[in-house]
Amino acid sequence: MSGEGASTGAGSQVALVTGGYDHTIKLWQAHSGVCLRTMQHPDSQVNDLEINPNGQMVAACGYQHIRMYDLASANPDPVLNYEGIVKNISRVGFQENGQWMYTGGEDCTARIWDIRVGHAFQCQRIFQVPAPVNAVVLHPDQSQIMVGGQSGIIHIWDLKTDHNEQLIPEAEASIQDIAIDPEGKLMAAVNNKGNCYVWSLGGSPPRPVPHKHLQAHKKYGLRCKFSYDSTMLVTTAGDNTARVWRTSDWTLLQELRHDAQRWVWDAAFTLDSRYLFTGSSDSYGRLWDLEKGTLEREYCGHQKPITALAFRDQAV
Amino acid sequence: MATYDNKAWLLKNIRDAFIATDDTGLCEIVMAGDDFSKIFQNKAIEERKRERDKLFYEPSTSKEKESGTDDDEDREVVTRFDPYPDMEDSDEDEPCPSYPRFTNEMAHRQRSNTAQWLDKKELALKKAAKIKIIKWEDPPTQLNPEQMAEVFAKIEVKKPEKKKSLLTEQLKNCPNLPHRQYLEYAKFDGTAQLGLPVKSFKIFMTILPEKHQNYPLIVCVIANAKIKDLIGFTCYKYSIDHPEVSLGSVHDYGLCIAEDDGEVDWAFPCLDNNEPCSKFGFTCLGLIDVKRKENIVHCPYDLSSAFQCFPKASVSGQSHMTSRQNTGGSDTSEIIKAMNTVTEGNRGLSNRSSIDASQDKLYRVQMLHKVRANTPVQLGVTLDAIEVVPLVTNKHAFWARPKYFLHSINSIAWCQILEAKSNKTIFRIVYSPNHDATFNERNNTANINTYPTAIYKKHDFETEHDTARKIVEKVNTILDLRNSPCHREYKMVKEKKQQTRRSFHTKHLS
Repeated sequence: MSGEGASTGAGSQVALVTGGYDHTIKLWQAHSGVCLRTMQHPDSQVNDLEINPNGQMVAACGYQHIRMYDLASANPDPVLNYEGIVKNISRVGFQENGQWMYTGGEDCTARIWDIRVGHAFQCQRIFQVPAPVNAVVLHPDQSQIMVGGQSGIIHIWDLKTDHNEQLIPEAEASIQDIAIDPEGKLMAAVNNKGNCYVWSLGGSPPRPVPHKHLQAHKKYGLRCKFSYDSTMLVTTAGDNTARVWRTSDWTLLQELRHDAQRWVWDAAFTLDSRYLFTGSSDSYGRLWDLEKGTLEREYCGHQKPITALAFRDQAV
Repeated sequence: MATYDNKAWLLKNIRDAFIATDDTGLCEIVMAGDDFSKIFQNKAIEERKRERDKLFYEPSTSKEKESGTDDDEDREVVTRFDPYPDMEDSDEDEPCPSYPRFTNEMAHRQRSNTAQWLDKKELALKKAAKIKIIKWEDPPTQLNPEQMAEVFAKIEVKKPEKKKSLLTEQLKNCPNLPHRQYLEYAKFDGTAQLGLPVKSFKIFMTILPEKHQNYPLIVCVIANAKIKDLIGFTCYKYSIDHPEVSLGSVHDYGLCIAEDDGEVDWAFPCLDNNEPCSKFGFTCLGLIDVKRKENIVHCPYDLSSAFQCFPKASVSGQSHMTSRQNTGGSDTSEIIKAMNTVTEGNRGLSNRSSIDASQDKLYRVQMLHKVRANTPVQLGVTLDAIEVVPLVTNKHAFWARPKYFLHSINSIAWCQILEAKSNKTIFRIVYSPNHDATFNERNNTANINTYPTAIYKKHDFETEHDTARKIVEKVNTILDLRNSPCHREYKMVKEKKQQTRRSFHTKHLS
């Protein structure tokens, strides 16, 4: 309970962005559920969305492109278009200072894109793996990138040394998503069998140590994410649910299910870890109260499945 | 086609045809290039000068002489760049526009597909010019350790402090969301669909109290949304804009064709809920309560309170009916009698049998229309209202179906004989929809307009001399009796106009 006083909705930095198969990206007023703006994402579904560190832009990746949209203007078209990649780009993310952007895609690479302006040298990097990449995540220490893909291998790519290490949690299962908690102590990955593996990264030197195996879902796992306070892990799957696990004892805290809900493709926690957004194939975004397990808001407007969402909260 | 050998004229016509038939407006954008009209005009001036000089120096014969009459000093020199004379009159802004891709030599055939393609390409290029494209470049050299340290430095991970979320606060402050009940219709929002065909409508919210319907709600939905989706989306949009107004269930509402001033056409059925909106050509619709509509459409004679002087047989008794029928002689006495009925409190409902019984007090007249043929209607004149019931309800010809009108006597401004022909007389009833508002609200007929200034509309009828005279006399007697604000205002306006402009009366009558 900070004493900064109540903040009004005006000029707020809270932004919820969803995208999916209907080739549009929508910006929502998160608390009312009203769609504020629709942006065009031509020729491709949206595989992943990420709001950049200063909150001005949202990056959307799809087939052959990473497009950046200005969140503040009414421009429905992207302002920046990163291209030159032959296949689907499955994930996008930013270094916390906004110096570079990382992506992973079906061309079996993870890449670092220099997004600084007017610098003497370029810092592009490329990391080749043997199979299409489904998941890329940056360690909070900003120096390692975890790359997971259809081979079922997680590559830990050390950006400074260019060394890499491999983890194979399960044979013949494709890694669908990887998450690292904000404290940098836990790493989780979900695969296409619905299994979730957790490693602890806390040791010294920091090496991943198998920590927990969760049979999180019966079907295809799609996403996993840690809450900001690291007390929860959400896994989403093709079984039409999102499940929230306590990281303390790995028990199920909530199963977020709705009659209309279909595959749950993406999820995002609020800053206080009290609410969770989900996006589903039924074209609805949803906001859940994690304490009560109740549905608080629905976001309707997409014509086709929502496959990606990004949420930026503001501290008060 | 001797008339059409002028390039400039042809170009103008082709251009106009493009612009006029292209609803997307893209043609206009494409053709809004260089102003070729000026080029043409300048060339015309030059050539004319040249021709004049030529004529001056060799006045006998010239090849170009066919263009004008000889031996006339002031004759016009027509050049190949001159447009036809009426061109400048028709379009002053662009007296001689042209299609920029045409050469001076000859006109091409219309290549609309190519033009469209070019246009699309142009738009795409314009759009692309605003998007910065960054191509992937492979790293040129290995970064040195300092550069590595600068860009890929390891950052110490701190345990994130506990923060309060702004969203949580916003959620707390925003518990009541009336639009949530219509949320499922949000996906029909046309403004949010880029690339899909959409359709915009002006919706008049007749279901709301008068003070809320000053302006139509403009909604844009995707073209394949059904009418029920349009209703739902209208409710959704309205409840976002006006969370304080509570709307009912989508199933209770229907959409009816309305005039562009918001007057709902009650004679038409509601648009079919299951039809896509792309099927309908109207842009002005009224959102109405289906139950009210049913009352009006299915039993127009039961618009009871409007017909207080035709009391229900069961209430007032058959004897009353007979007495009414026997009055016959003077319409004024009839009215006074009817007034008595009202004051006596016999505010009964009329039904079909009572209407039948007093058939002679409803007049069969021809209603005149500006464009269509005249239609036979039943004109009911009572103390409280004037009702126009179309007698032919041609169910097959949807468009030609005549309208049903019900005007409160308070909204009737004027009644007069316009013209007496050999066998028929035309008379006019002027009414003001504004003044109907209060009446409608009272009577739940919801045919409402609210405009700050009075608007007068008219109905013209034609019937036999005697009947016309009777009706006009009767209406005027009622108007005088009532002396409503509407009638007074109209009289005032009329007198003012007559004072300022003597010719008004004849004009008004024409």
